[in-house]
Amino acid sequence: MDQRSQSAACDSIVVTGLGHVVLAPCDPTPYLKVRKNRKFMGVQDDLAVVAAGQAAASAGLGNALGERAGLYLSVGYLPFEQADVDVLFENSVDERGFSMQRFSSQAYDAVNPLLTFRCLSNMPAFHISVNLDIQGPYFVTYPGPGQFYLALEEACVALASGSIDIAFLGGIAYQQNFLVRHHFARIDLPAGRLLDAAGCVVLETATHAAARGARVRGRLLSYELSFHPRNPFEEAGSSEECGADGAMGSASLPVALSLGQRRSLRHELKTRDGICASSCWELA
Amino acid sequence: MRRRVAVTGLGVICPIGNSPDEFQENLLQGVSGVGPVTLFDPASLPTRIAAEVKWRGPILRDRKITFAIEAAEEALGSSGRPRGEGGISLGIGLEMFSMDDLAACRRPGFALPSSRQDRMSFLQTPSDLCVQLISKRYGLTRPPLTHVSACAAGTDAIGAAFRMVADGRRAWMLAGGTDSMINPLGVGGFCRIGATTTSNSEPERASRPFDRRRDGFVLGEGAGVLVLEGLEEARARGARVYAEIAGYGNSFDAHGISEPHPEGRGAYQAMERALKDADVPPMAIDCINAHGTSTPKNDPVETMAIKRLLGARAKDVPVCATKSMIGHLISAAGAVEAIAAVLCMNAGWVHPTINLDEPDPACDLDYVSHHARRREQRYVLSNSFGFGGQNASILLRAADA
Repeated sequence: MDQRSQSAACDSIVVTGLGHVVLAPCDPTPYLKVRKNRKFMGVQDDLAVVAAGQAAASAGLGNALGERAGLYLSVGYLPFEQADVDVLFENSVDERGFSMQRFSSQAYDAVNPLLTFRCLSNMPAFHISVNLDIQGPYFVTYPGPGQFYLALEEACVALASGSIDIAFLGGIAYQQNFLVRHHFARIDLPAGRLLDAAGCVVLETATHAAARGARVRGRLLSYELSFHPRNPFEEAGSSEECGADGAMGSASLPVALSLGQRRSLRHELKTRDGICASSCWELA
Repeated sequence: MRRRVAVTGLGVICPIGNSPDEFQENLLQGVSGVGPVTLFDPASLPTRIAAEVKWRGPILRDRKITFAIEAAEEALGSSGRPRGEGGISLGIGLEMFSMDDLAACRRPGFALPSSRQDRMSFLQTPSDLCVQLISKRYGLTRPPLTHVSACAAGTDAIGAAFRMVADGRRAWMLAGGTDSMINPLGVGGFCRIGATTTSNSEPERASRPFDRRRDGFVLGEGAGVLVLEGLEEARARGARVYAEIAGYGNSFDAHGISEPHPEGRGAYQAMERALKDADVPPMAIDCINAHGTSTPKNDPVETMAIKRLLGARAKDVPVCATKSMIGHLISAAGAVEAIAAVLCMNAGWVHPTINLDEPDPACDLDYVSHHARRREQRYVLSNSFGFGGQNASILLRAADA
């Protein structure tokens, strides 16, 4: 089990910025530095840019963060947009089913090439980096709340090592999407429970936050992470989550932090893929 | 106290070899793995060639999962099992959906397959199944890491695993990448954005990094997995040490969605951070395994970034592009190319960049065209730069350096 107790660390990790959005659609326009990229953005990108933009603003950071800022992100399963798939499908089938001949002619010309970008797992990271000019290191992982803890671990290690001053830690879950719903339906999770959400927290060391006069909005007290491997073809697994809304996937913990409904937060989860994790936070 | 990190196992499944020995032999002979697409009928798609894995064994519907499992088995077989609790860090490709399945599920009366395995593979197979299956098979009890930083994912996976072993968070790791996008959506998607070559008439000559006539990349597939563990622990158990991972750096371009930063800023930062991480100066670099995609935009910008990094030495350091032979393995590229670099370093050769007949004037480094070259190498950089401006580099150190 990985255990990190921040009280024992020489410089604790504090939260100085928070942002979240629950339920799409949301409008990323106020946070766009490069407006021409709007046409490349899918729902998950909108969610990511809004949450990160809010977090940057609440941390008192501008949008030119440079090399000393890093991005640590957990995104969800591939969300190809239904409308794009419908165009692809209608132009690719004949009376016998899928036709490669039709796909390579009609569908090929009918689809918008931008759809290639709108569903990619690394695109939320791209859009956040462009709009905040983050040039530092990154860790982009997938597909759920267990992996968010791995992103948290990487962010804490990077801050503690001094390789960055500011860490954007985010979780993005665009789940009211037919492919994502298909995935969860086959593992018996009611697809209607899934929410579209994104959350982002700005982390830095207490020393760095104090030096720049940042308002401390919370503190990471500890976190734990463990894993019990399973064969997904043989075992269904089960998931449980306390302290946050498990319907928000990767976004559950950062959204709970951002909502800040209590002075402290203890979050625990057990995921279908065998990750058990917990964390304790003190909130201002 | 940071530990030195050894590479003690290698596993590779790629278009020019399904074992490290076969891969090395073909690399040094400059064999191309590119041919007409056979995995599906490309019909009238503009690109009808690819670098396919020649695989005769049983295979899951999602090829990349089989590739990852086989490469992991090969890597652990060559290393023996290190001591302590292990984990996995894997760059994985997109979970592409099947057009045939999409048509099937829209027919009246459709029902999902009854068996759990068939159900999990229907329409699309979640890519993270790779790390779950491998963790279960080998009893890996540390949380698995999945990396989805596109073309940089394989290198990021090795880099993250290296950091975890180096600072003692993991005793050992399987690290690498896997991908297969040679399917209608994958090939069609890359065609549609103009990323792939349309030189269909001479497949084996179509991937030509740094050449004036390059017109896009060739899509490849495969997996590469390395075993990483502490150097002292590896020596104590008598494991063969193939190389060390000495440093890792990554960066965002924060620039364009499909074009690199015009001055190669992000590429330079990734390489520079890898060297700084290793505390090794640029003058120590003996060879660079380039990202070298054969796309009009990547190759001159990568050249520019290398020149900035190496300064006056730039033209004295060989730069080779594995993609000239195996195409672009996307999320697996960095892992398979790191293995290429390790194999060549151990053999004392730099593999060639094939099909480089007429260098682009903007690409004016020593790219080791056509034929392998004998050269002892202590430090080799391996680069991966992705769509969306995610850049990663790792620094490899020869085992006896």
